[in-house]
Formats: sequence, structure tokens, C-alpha cells
Amino acid sequence: MSIVPQLVANSIIAGAMYTLIALGFTLTFATAKFFNLAHGAFATVGGYITYSLLVQAGLSPWIAIPVGIVAAGAVAFIVHHTVFAPLRKRHSSNMVLLVASLGAYTVLQAVIAMIWTSEFKSLPLKTAERSIEFLGGIITRTQLFALIAALLIAAALIIFLKFTRAGRAITAIGDDEEVARVVGINTNRMMALVFVIGGVVAGVSGIFTGYDTGIEPGVGMPLLLKGVIAAIIGGVGNIYGAVLGAFLLAVVENFGIWKIAAEWKDAIAFGLLILFLLFRPRGILQK
Amino acid sequence: MEYLINVAILACIYAVLALGLNLVVGFTGLLSVAQASFYGLGAYATAILLTRFGMNFFLALLIGVAIAAVFALLIGLVLSKFKDDYYALASLGFNVIVYTAFLNLQNITRGPLGIPGIARPTLFGFHFTGNLSFLILSLVAVAIAYLVAQFVARSSFGRALKAIREDEPALRVFGYRTLHFKLAVFVIGAALAALAGALFATYITFVDPSSFTINESIFLLAVIILGGLANLRGSILGAVSLIVLPEILRFVGFPTEVAAQMRQAIYGALLVILMLYRPQGLMGEYKL
Repeated sequence: MSIVPQLVANSIIAGAMYTLIALGFTLTFATAKFFNLAHGAFATVGGYITYSLLVQAGLSPWIAIPVGIVAAGAVAFIVHHTVFAPLRKRHSSNMVLLVASLGAYTVLQAVIAMIWTSEFKSLPLKTAERSIEFLGGIITRTQLFALIAALLIAAALIIFLKFTRAGRAITAIGDDEEVARVVGINTNRMMALVFVIGGVVAGVSGIFTGYDTGIEPGVGMPLLLKGVIAAIIGGVGNIYGAVLGAFLLAVVENFGIWKIAAEWKDAIAFGLLILFLLFRPRGILQK
Repeated sequence: MEYLINVAILACIYAVLALGLNLVVGFTGLLSVAQASFYGLGAYATAILLTRFGMNFFLALLIGVAIAAVFALLIGLVLSKFKDDYYALASLGFNVIVYTAFLNLQNITRGPLGIPGIARPTLFGFHFTGNLSFLILSLVAVAIAYLVAQFVARSSFGRALKAIREDEPALRVFGYRTLHFKLAVFVIGAALAALAGALFATYITFVDPSSFTINESIFLLAVIILGGLANLRGSILGAVSLIVLPEILRFVGFPTEVAAQMRQAIYGALLVILMLYRPQGLMGEYKL
């Protein structure tokens, strides 16, 4: 049996996971214009809150998952309100915002480790995991859901940004914040909305990671870094770009480890990033 | 007493790392998140030369520094194409690649098993086996690193670095080849990191990849930002405070696991608070 169909299936699933984390990151960048590394921690928060509600409180996934997602959005809102909004008010440089987001990430990761310990935790499935044949390869039902969720959320974000009043206001801020303010857009409120949306999508990503591979407090950073690479090689700030970049990254990684040992996956991903930064710094879909 | 010496040695090692990194980040304005990779290169080179070839520590140290310098030159060549946040991201990428190499080049590094049984340094028949003598060696290393950094900072070369930080295109107009300056300072920073790595490997007498992750690079960034960018004494202050802090937490009675997380939480919070209220750090002369 050829290994290629399985590699294709793996690439698509990895692409879906990367899309989920890249979407929120790229949306934040499109509007606020800085690399928000705290984004990875929002995903971890979503995963752990859902874990607690499912396992420790014994609630149904129908409650646990939405609450986990909302919690991730809430944490994103709090971080924005206490850290990023004041910094932006002071017109801090991108580097200051980047370092502050790194600090916020470190705090969140440490707090999560103190609450839930550093142990590895998996979100339990109610019914046994089922395998599904997919383009000649085998994937799990969770992975299929992740793929559907990633595509739906990407589509929803595109529609939201294009066709709603708030979405267009957010796009306008991304184009030029000063002008947006002059024409009467409440930029602070819109910015908060962007962070909440980003946090919510990150929460979804964290929950799927919890079901698929399990989570530990430090899982947010490697997860986010894949999202960052996906967003940048796709064209950072661009929703289509994030999706495209995520799938390209996944394909390169999965076919890369066909020839090289799997342990080199992260090195392959960052090698791809550096190649893109050198030769096509604005990504596939450059603005 | 033995315990205090242990903390002091670690603070020295971090001070050397921080002094090197501050030249790159503080003086030149290049936000490098790759310092741990050169730290690791120095540590591994020393460890391998000592355990496999039985080389003298000081010779191994020099070779380790040279290896880190060569890698820094190559990596710096690529990084010099980037600015600000992209520089940070690309350097982080190199840190991940080097870490992955430590983990997977098993015939050289023994991968996750690490390299045990590294001998303590010897010089003219004198063995630095006791911790007190090792502390003296570490203090000498800090002094060397400080003098090198101070020489760089006060020379005309150092002034050119600060000018790159403030306005690189303008400096180019004046005919400076800024690429050479950026490469040179990056190599010096990496060489100091390798010096710290050699000390670390022989002090702990064991190296494994987990000491050289991006978290370590981020921690070092916190050290120099806390102490103060472009201020050398600040780097030493930052290293000492962030190394002593978790020890105090342990004394207060937190279990080791919680104390480690508290340390993370506190230095993360420090980064946020500094960015909000004092982006140049405690004694800094340059704001990010």
C-alpha cells in the first residue's frame, strides 16, 4: 500500500489544526499590527477549562466546550484590557508589544501549571474514537470535526469582515487606524472585539488539540509558533493567507518527514519560515 | 555556604550570557531570541571535547567559542536581512533548529540522554573541582565578559552600533557597512554565550538539550530587559535578581515545582510591568 494517501490525509488534518491557531493570530495582526504571542496561551486556557468541566465537574461536552471557548475569549479580553490597550494608547513600538505579549504568555502558562499541574491531560471522548477513511488515508472523527470547524470558522471570519458593519470597521482600522478614528469608528471597542474573536478561535483550537493529542501547560507556544509560521508564509494579516499558509506548512512538514526523520518536523517548519522571510517576506498572498 | 556558592556560580553564568545578549539587543537594537542556541553550542562543544578527546578545558573552551562564533556568523548573515519583530521571529526559528539538532544528532550529542561525566576544568595541574574554586573561575569569566562588553560599548565601534539602533539608513549614507557591524556584534554576543556554556557544562558536569530551549532565550531576554537595555551593570543586576528570586521563593516554603512556576509567573509579570511603565528596564538607556 502506498503511503502517499495517508500523508495527504495527515497534511490536511495538520493544516486544519494550524488554520485554527493561525486565524486568530493573523486577525489580531491585521488590526493591531503586532505579533501577539499571548495568543498561544488563550488556546491553552480554552483546553484546560473544558478539561475541568468535563472531567472534574462531569459536565456534558455541550456545556464544557462552549464555556471553554468563552473563557478563552474572556482571558483574551482581560489581557487586551490590562496590557495591550494601555500600551497602544502610549503608542508603544511593536517590539514593546511583542515583549509584553511574551510576558503575558509566560504568566498565563505558569498560572495554568500551578492550577492544573504540568501533567499531560487528554480531553476524554464520550464514545470510543472512530476511524474514518478519508481520501484513501485513515483519520479520526475528532480530526474530521477539526477540519470542518477550521473551514467553517475561516469562512465565517471572511463573511464577518466583509459584510458586517463591525467587520468592515475592523478592516478599516487595519488599513489606517487614524483615519478610522476620524470617521467615527470606536477603535478601542473594535480592538477589544478583535482580541475576543481571536481568543475564541484560539479556544476552539486548544480544545481540538486537547481531544486530538492532549495538552500540557506549555502546549500553547509550539502550537502558536506553527500558527505564526502559517500566517506569515500565507501573508500575515490575510485570512485567506492564513488558511493557505497552514495547509502549505502542513504539506511541507508531512512530506518532509517522509524522507527525513519525524523529529525534524519543527526544524523543517522554521526552515520554511526563514526561506519565506528571505525570498518572499510578505508571504504567498502579499498585500 | 555550599548552597550560596551554587547560586552565585549560576548567577555568574547568566551574567556572562546577559552581557553578550545585551550587546546585541540593547546596544544594537537587534531583538535576538537565539542566545540559548550559542550557549548550547559552547556547552556541547566543551562537553564533547572533554569527554571524548580528554582535551584540556581551556583549549576546549576556545574551540567551543570558535564553533559558536562560526555558527553565529552564518546565522547572523541571514538574520541581518531582518528588522525588529521579524528579526525576533527568525532568530527564534534558528533557536528551534539548533535545539532540534541537539536533540536529534544522536551520534554527536547523544540526543535526549545528554552527555554525563564531564570533568571539571584543570589549569597547570590545578583542579577546579571544589565549588569555591569554580566560583572564582566564574567570577573571572564575568570580569572578562564585562571588560569585553565594556570595550565594545565604549569604542567607536560601540558608538556605530548605537547609531545602527537609532537610524541604520542614515549610518549607511555616511558610508558605514552596517552589515559588518551587525555581524561582528552578533558574533561577540555568541562567543560570550559559548563561554557561559563551557562553564555551565563543566559546572553541572552534564548537558542535555532541555537547557537550551527557546524558553531559555526568552528568560535571558527578561534578564537583560529587567536589568536595563544598553547598560552592562544592569545585565549583571538582572542576572543576579532573576537567579536569586526563585531561591528566595523556595526559602519562603513553596515546594520546588510551585516555586519554579512562581518564578515563571514573576518574570513574565515583570516583563509586562516593565513594558507598561519602564520599557528601558531598571537601569536601561534604551527603550525597545
